[in-house]
Parts: sequence; C-alpha cells; structure tokens
Amino acid sequence: MPPRLNLFSACRALTSRAFAQRPPPLGPAVLARGMADLTPPPRPSTGFTSPANEEALGKLRLIEYGLTPADVSTEGHKYGLPDLPLQRDRNAKHRYDDVINQITKLLMRDGKLAKAQRDMALILKYLRTSPPPRLDPARPLLPGAPPAAHLPLDPITYLGLAIDSVAPLVKLRGFHKMAGGGKALEVPIPLRVRQRRRIAFQWILGVVTKKVSKGSGRTMFPHRLAEEIVAVVEGRSAVWDRRTQLHKAGTTNRANLNNMKVRRML
Amino acid sequence: MPAPNCLRCLARPPPGLATPVPRTAAAASPLLNRPAATPIGTRTRAHAAPFSTTPAPAGPPVKPATPVGSGGHNRVGKKLKLGKFKTDRAAERSKVPLPGERKAYRKRITLSNDNALPVPWLADLTPSSLADPANTATVMGLPDSLQDQLRASDAFKPSQSWGMFRKPAVLVRKETVDLVNRMQDAADKKQTLRLVVTGDKVTGKSMLLLQAMAHAYLNNWIVIHLPEGQDLTTACTEYSPLADTDPVQYSQPVYVFKLIQAIKKANENLLSKMYTAVGHPGLPQSITANTSLLTLANVAKEPDAAWPVFRALWHELTHRSVARPPILFTLDGLSHITRVSDYRSPAFELIHSYDLALLRLFTDGLGGSLRLPWGGAVLAATSRSNAPRSPSMELALAQREAEQLQREVPKKDPFFRGYDERAEASLRSVQVLPVGGIDKVEARGLMEYWAASGMLRATVDNKSVSEKWTLAGNGVLGEMERASLLTMRV
Repeated sequence: MPPRLNLFSACRALTSRAFAQRPPPLGPAVLARGMADLTPPPRPSTGFTSPANEEALGKLRLIEYGLTPADVSTEGHKYGLPDLPLQRDRNAKHRYDDVINQITKLLMRDGKLAKAQRDMALILKYLRTSPPPRLDPARPLLPGAPPAAHLPLDPITYLGLAIDSVAPLVKLRGFHKMAGGGKALEVPIPLRVRQRRRIAFQWILGVVTKKVSKGSGRTMFPHRLAEEIVAVVEGRSAVWDRRTQLHKAGTTNRANLNNMKVRRML
Repeated sequence: MPAPNCLRCLARPPPGLATPVPRTAAAASPLLNRPAATPIGTRTRAHAAPFSTTPAPAGPPVKPATPVGSGGHNRVGKKLKLGKFKTDRAAERSKVPLPGERKAYRKRITLSNDNALPVPWLADLTPSSLADPANTATVMGLPDSLQDQLRASDAFKPSQSWGMFRKPAVLVRKETVDLVNRMQDAADKKQTLRLVVTGDKVTGKSMLLLQAMAHAYLNNWIVIHLPEGQDLTTACTEYSPLADTDPVQYSQPVYVFKLIQAIKKANENLLSKMYTAVGHPGLPQSITANTSLLTLANVAKEPDAAWPVFRALWHELTHRSVARPPILFTLDGLSHITRVSDYRSPAFELIHSYDLALLRLFTDGLGGSLRLPWGGAVLAATSRSNAPRSPSMELALAQREAEQLQREVPKKDPFFRGYDERAEASLRSVQVLPVGGIDKVEARGLMEYWAASGMLRATVDNKSVSEKWTLAGNGVLGEMERASLLTMRV
C-alpha cells in the first residue's frame, strides 16, 4: 500500500523510538516466555527506518520550504478518489433501482434471493428483446411516460412504468361494526408509494401464477411475468379492471370519511 | 293427459318431448299453492316440496339443476356427485401443448433483436478475417448466408445471448486467431489438425468451435458438426447393430439421418458442385460415378438408408483420386463420449461409446488413425456445466497440456480403476487449446460493442472495463456477460 503523503503521516513516521523494535522471538513461544533479561541492550538509532519514510521526510522538507510536493487527490490511488458526494447507486444497499429492489423481494420464495434476482434479470432481458408495446389510449399510462419506442431499451423504466400505472391510489379500510347492523364501514384510505407498488405487483403475480406456460424449464416463470408486464402496458391485462373496480368502490365510499367516529379515529 | 303448457313458466314444450311435465312439478299437483307465473330461475323451497317438515330458512337454497327454459323443461333429480368441490384442472387448461412443443419453445434460438441499435462500424466476416491477428479484440458480424449455414448445423446454442443484438456477431480473440491459423496451416499442407478445446465453465469453448466452423464455411470447407456428444451416448436415439463388423458396431439411423439433412442443408453449394468418383451400387438408389454428391446425400430418404449413405458420402469426401475441399469435423461435449455409453448390447452389456459407428469415425479422426487426404481438422470441445466425470479425458488433456508447456506430466493414479483405455488411446496425440479469460483489450472491444448496441447503458472506460473484467474472474466471457448484460442493473 502506498504511503499516505500528507503532513500528518510524515510527522507520524518521524516519531522517534527510544529503543529499536523488539525482534520476534526465535523458536517456540515457550522459549520466549520470561526471557525479559535476554532482550538485547538498546542500540542507538541510526535515523533510517524505511525508504518510504525517507521519501516522506523528503516531502516534509519540501513543505518546510513552502512547496506542495504531492497532490493527495491523485497520488497514491490507482483510479483516483471518487467524486463526493457519492451517487446514490454507489451504495451497496441502493445498488438497484427502488422498484426493481422491492419487486425482486416480492418475487422471492423460500428466501432464495439469488433465484429471484436471476428471474428479475430474465424479465428485464425479455422486455429488452420484445417489440415496443402498442399503447392503448383507453388505458393511459402515467403522465410524462416516455414514448413506447423508447421503452425496450430502458427496461427498468418499462417495468416501473407498468407497475406504477396500474398501482391503486387507495385501499378500503373496514371500520368494524360501524356501518350499523354489525357491518363494517368501508373507508378509502390513501396509500404510500411502496404500498401502491406492492399491491399492483401482487395483482400481477396473481394473474401470472394462474397462467399456463408455453414452454418448460426454469425460465418460464420470468417469461410469463414479463409477458404480463407487456400486457399491462398495452392495456390488455385484467389487472386494470381490478384497479378500476377498487377506485369505483373508493369513490362510492368516500362519503364515509365524514362519519364522525371515523374522523376521530383517523 | 299431460298439460299442454309448462306449469312453471307457461312456455310450450318442444314438440319431440313425450312427457313435458316435470316429475316434481307433477307431484306438486295442487296448482293453487304456486303463483300463476314465477319468474324464471327463482324458485322457493316451499314451492318445490310443499309437504316438507323442515322449516324453510334452515335448509340451503336449492339451485336449479338445469337452467329452466333452456330446453327440455325436465328437471333432473338429485344426483350423487363425488368430489364436486374439486375443479377439473384438465378442463380448465384451454390447450394442452403437444409432445415436444414445450421443449421446442425452450430450445428455440433467436438471432436478432430489433430493439438493439445497429452498430455502424460492425464489419462482416470475410474468408481471411478470422486468421488475421490485426482483427484481434474486434467484434465482427456473421454474414447472412453464414448464419443460415451455422443454424442448419446447430452451431448456435440457446444459452448464448444471440437474441440481444441486432445481428449475430463474434469477438475475435487471440485463441481464435491461433486456432484458425492452425487449421489453415493443416489444410494448406493437406494434413489433419487434431485438437481439443478445453477450459473452465463459460469461457467460450463452444463459441471457439463456432468460429472455427465459421472460418471453414467461409473458406468452402465441408463441415460436419455433432452439436452435443450426449445426444449420441445417453441412449435417447435408436441404434441397430451393423452387419459385417467384429466386434459389433452400432449405427444410430435416426440421428445419422438428421445429420445428413443438416450436412446437406449447410454444405449445399459445395456438394452440388462435387461429383462422385466411384459408383455406389449398394444403396437404395444405385448411384453411378460422376453423380453430384448432393444427389448422393438425397438418397437417404429414410433412417434405414442413412448409415450406408453417410458411409458413401464420407468415402467420396475422402477419396484420393479427385480433388476435394478440406473437411472440418467437430463435436461439442467431449466427456460424454469418452466413456461407456448408456446403450446395451443384446447380451445386456453396456456398449462403449467407441463402438457406436459414428462416434468411432470421429474418435478415429481425433486419435489420428483416420487421415483426411485433402486436409482439414477434427476438433472437439469439452463442456463443464453438463459433463459426466471422465477421468481418462481429464488426465489425458492435463498430460497433453503439460507436454505442450514442457512441464512435469501428471501421472496416472495406480490405485484408481475408473480409467478408460480406449479414451486414453484416442487422446494420446491430440493438441490441446486451453481457453481462459479474455484480456482487458478484448474486454474493452466487447464492451464497446455492447454499449454501441444499446445493451450496456454505461460509459466504457478503463475503469468500467476493469471493474467488469475483475468481477468476471479475470475476464471469463460468460461471467462478463452475466455481470453486464444479464443483471438487474441495466
């Protein structure tokens, strides 16, 4: 490892020792025990410790003369120092896109994350190699979505767009026995982004598990899933109806938000 | 006399029905109990059985057995139905795939991706480009006719990432140039190159074989390719003993039939321009001298005639009296054939792979007992992911490699019985081409091609190349692909 060339390291290297470093004991550890009287007498220091130290000393002398001999940001690093602040995806925990990360965990069965990751990679590969989707104007995607022709080369956006577009905005929460006659009072509750994505993906997974695959082998599940993602973007998927239905129910029940008891509880 | 109208819905019965009144309705004769007209499909329990002792709300609502009015009007009585809660899964599935359809879907090969960007600087392979060291570390496209030939001879594998790019292209490596030059030297001197490509998993052994085939096709060689050793030895294709062989050899008619079709399709141009040197009267259709070799290959119209036709074709291709092009004979998955096969003789003894006639031809070529008079190459590639243990092959390859590098040659384990002498004999004098990782210059050329195709969305500089190269175990090609193309970080 190259020495760190700054003032502090040079000072540290200069710290003189009263005694030369004790050499490691020869022979087995048993022999070394209790041999304090056998330590060699202290020798006067010659001042020379290592070539690296000499180099540091030289630099220090240059600093003393008012020169700056080393640029810490370039010297001593093979590829230079990273630009700070670090980008978000340089952190190991945020290595993958947020949607991809969440969905991969939802794909996981029996704790086999590596298998889920391979499946996800295959899904992205499928999206990259399938023809651009033909969008259905009756099923509009999120506003600001890139044109369909751009999607296959950016499969992560493709997948995120599909999931965010069918994600429901609300869920219905049943307040127990509040509707009278022991019935629950359904009240629409807004969802956070992660919750919305989770529900949307669970719907998609539900459709996919019921489908019959065309081929055989371990790549078929990701294939079916990717086909369903394409179907969502093209507006063919049954998941859209599910979302519409839920939104209708939410609209119907939004008057229940005025219920005094509910308002007190929310 | 039956009533002319249905008593429930007041509809007329269909003319062919003898007893239009339902049994239960007839039993409930007092018409006063029921309303004059009941809405279709609604029926209360009290109307159905007026004498029931069960209080109405306690019983389950009775559903009509058949939709009333749909035809007949005769209600069926209660039927015993076992397992009525089980859904019939076979009926749910709309269309059951035919035998082999699912496997075909799994094994299908896509060679292009219209989404990928066309790479402007991608040059197509020419007859000399694979032998030119100046092309090292560049990616070169396969011309269309070559694609067809390679596809016909099953050179593409479904596990390779052909389907991601606009058109199939290969990276020219140092090993490629080396191998192709050795092949060309041998062909120029009318000698036979006998070589085994070996190396770790996903280092590009099959791809090297494909490049050798590409060179051969472009230079008008005859190419015979056995795409998988295991197809021949795992007892999944038919076999039959050959007459006049001692010890008995076995032909694999169906496999050889398909092989002839493949050879014919891939080498059609060349075969149609070559003519037989001698007559072949023993075939199902007698072939005289000076007939086109394509006609000879066409004689194999069914599997039974396949082996004699293949023998005749081979005899013609290696005939000394007429000038012939060099031959490339290749096989992938060597360890499957350097052992006892799964076939059994009539005495129920296992048959050695070398007693299968087609493999005997190949291993004779590899071992050097069969010469190609017009030059050529016999190449084999090992496989590491799907490979049975073959200690003799491992040892022989290690010994040949050590001999080439003039290192100490590994010795046979004297206490191990699993060696196969016939396999050792066939690998005693082959050359070995070890394939490892690519270097960083090659890695950079490859990654630039990926980035230009739009499949790698990253800047390609020394740092990123070095990163992927290191992640891939010092440039193992398949691992580089996994790290940069088949990943969740696109």
